[in-house]
Amino acid sequence: MTTYLSHILGKPVWDEEGQRLGRCVDLLAAEVETGFPSIQAIAVKDGRETRLIAAEFVAWLTPSIILNTSDPPAYEPRGDELWLARQVLDRQIVDTEGRRLVRVNDLQLTRISINGIHFRLAGVDVGTLGLLRRLGVEGLAATVLKILHRQPPEAVIPWRDVAPLQADEPIRLRVSLEKISEFHPADIADIIEELDRPTGQALLQTLDTETIADTMQEIEPELQASMLRTLPPERAADVLEEMDPDDAADLLADLTPTRRAKLLELMEDEDATDVQKLLTYPEDTAGGIMTTEFATIPSGLTVGQALDYLRQSEAAHEDEALFYVYVLDKMQKLQGVIALRELVLSAPHVAVQDIMEADVITVDPLRPQKEIAHLVAKYNLLAVPVVDAQDVMQGIVTVDDAIDAIIPTAWKKRLPRVF
Amino acid sequence: MTLTQRVRPIVLRILFLLGIIGPGLITASAGNDAPGIATYSMAGSFYGYGLLWVLLWAALGAVVLLEMAARMGAVTGKGLTELIRERFGVRVTVFIMVSLVLANLGTTTAQFAGIAASAELFGVTRYLVVPVAAFAVWFLVLRGSYERVEKVLLSLTLYAVAYIITVFLVRPPWGEVLQRTIVPTVRLEPDYLLALLATVGTTVTPWSCAYMQASVADKGVTGVEYPYTRLDVLLGLVLSSLVAAFIVISAAVTLFANGIRVETAKQAALALAPLAGPWARQLFGIGLFGASLLAASVLPLATTYAVCEVFGWERGINHTADEAPIFYGLYTSLIVLSSIVVLIPGIPLFPLMWLSQVLNAILLPLVMAFMLRLANDTGIMKKWRNSRLTNVLAAVLAAVITLATAALLAEALF
Repeated sequence: MTTYLSHILGKPVWDEEGQRLGRCVDLLAAEVETGFPSIQAIAVKDGRETRLIAAEFVAWLTPSIILNTSDPPAYEPRGDELWLARQVLDRQIVDTEGRRLVRVNDLQLTRISINGIHFRLAGVDVGTLGLLRRLGVEGLAATVLKILHRQPPEAVIPWRDVAPLQADEPIRLRVSLEKISEFHPADIADIIEELDRPTGQALLQTLDTETIADTMQEIEPELQASMLRTLPPERAADVLEEMDPDDAADLLADLTPTRRAKLLELMEDEDATDVQKLLTYPEDTAGGIMTTEFATIPSGLTVGQALDYLRQSEAAHEDEALFYVYVLDKMQKLQGVIALRELVLSAPHVAVQDIMEADVITVDPLRPQKEIAHLVAKYNLLAVPVVDAQDVMQGIVTVDDAIDAIIPTAWKKRLPRVF
Repeated sequence: MTLTQRVRPIVLRILFLLGIIGPGLITASAGNDAPGIATYSMAGSFYGYGLLWVLLWAALGAVVLLEMAARMGAVTGKGLTELIRERFGVRVTVFIMVSLVLANLGTTTAQFAGIAASAELFGVTRYLVVPVAAFAVWFLVLRGSYERVEKVLLSLTLYAVAYIITVFLVRPPWGEVLQRTIVPTVRLEPDYLLALLATVGTTVTPWSCAYMQASVADKGVTGVEYPYTRLDVLLGLVLSSLVAAFIVISAAVTLFANGIRVETAKQAALALAPLAGPWARQLFGIGLFGASLLAASVLPLATTYAVCEVFGWERGINHTADEAPIFYGLYTSLIVLSSIVVLIPGIPLFPLMWLSQVLNAILLPLVMAFMLRLANDTGIMKKWRNSRLTNVLAAVLAAVITLATAALLAEALF
């Protein structure tokens, strides 16, 4: 038998002898990390006073709340209970199956009568039907739907598939985090963007450094800086090291000069140098969006030697995508490019020189981002090398960074503040 | 010293000044959208300086309320409607959202009325311009290409500067202006009360509080950085209220003094005649068009987004109409309904623009009641609770609006 929290809240509570004790204002659930948390107690408000009554003294929750005693002792909270009306209802909660943030419109409860009577929390109603139930027009809505021959849309998510988030409750947050940290960083970023700031920050801080870095790269640029500020400086520097140098540089550019200098100081020298170089270019040029991590091989190798070389090369390991391998001469000048696919599929003894593309499409560091986007689209490239006036290779712009320029950002950021 | 050498420092200084006040000025003049311009022109032409004191208090009220909203946004990181939902539940939220949607429907209608009125200044019929504008807004915003148009529209709204120049050209009696601003004069006539409510309603709206709080929360402003945000809010309001006051004063000097009571956009444009002479109509028309179209592009989408957000419906232009039926349905209805109202034959455009703001004023105390409860809740606001001064000022504003509403109702009934 199922019922809903909205049917219970505000209802009068009667004892065994028909004496009215007050109104039910909340339910307390325990073992909330399980799939079916049990209801431990109900909160009853009489006038200004609120008291807790243990669930074992509650005989019925619906259609009326009736106790099985006339003198219920007070329930002593253990401290780990979840107050369903105060802490869950109307709050945002993560749907771990759908990987999205939803708002709790109602809570579904079940009554189980094995070894006595228990009430358990079964699911979270996030649908419009839940809203209508809260407004007390559920019956009306059902009639309208019946006339229209439509099934009422069910939108109840089982409790085991949700993760409640509340910044002020670290213990509970950790349980939810175990589920959330499995998400793709882009999904985590979406959730953090939509959450209120304190909760979003608390969520981010509890992730491991690598996940923070990956998530950071997916968050709106305006928000990245404020998120980074909430991390302790050492941790922030670690995150910046893990991020792609171009993203790290963009993020650092949004910080105050003193803070930027401090974080660069804390970063490992090698990463800091890369980022510092990128910081000197304007944000919407090749130099501003390129990454300095790309795979190269010296000229004069055979395919077999080239692949061996790549396995040993630190730069190749750092290259996130490794679409192309660039052939450089001793002066670091770009000689040609070869797709990794071709390298792998060719016979080992073939000279790279013979199969590489020597006529490489390159851009200079100050080339505007928009032009690169069109270049990438026109020639179907996955990455474009950035070379300086001496043909020395500086970095690569990958397709995802290039096309950011022509894909509109979220509309919200574009609305002017005119009201 | 050549002429260019002599001029350069002056030009540089002006450019520097514009750099500082430029963004604020644009925001401030854009804030004076179609209903704003209409209300202030009407107020000045009907009552001379008689409503300046209302403007002063409304601006003060706006400072208090928007500061409160911005503070709540910074402390909680949540929007106003979100906080209301979490603290007061679904019923109160539905009530507040219905009020906001109705008020914004009125304001959007006023924007389309502004578009229609400006087109008619150029001799173009509203039956052509309004449907075209409505479709363009609907389409451009959904396609996400609104960004390109935005800057053009924003720069058009700079015409409000013309009011400031006009006032300095016509040299109003500053002593009297100041005196009438500080000493309140009340007339218990329905028309005056309507004008009073419209002036309050266009200066501070429930929606502007919700929008302010949401944008502060979205930007991730924290309690520590909040003083800068407060300064930003304050400067923006001082600027926009000054522009508003200058519209009232120029209307008072050029129109009220000559017995012209503004009923149409053509008459309202005359307020700029001392500056623009025969071109006053064109200047006014272009500016009104820009301000109206800008607001008409933003308001319906922002309203729809806020509604869908608080009820958890799919939203945003990256969803299809099948995925987010309520989002697209509400957005389209807001635009269609408000443009249809403007197309009713014979509907007076100019009164429509300012009367729509009375609704905003009447709804304000209701929303304020919930804002005050939230801003005084220690559990939510911690040490950033309202000060007593804030509470008193807000209560005074609510009382004035309620009294004016009650007096208006009493006049209408008896």
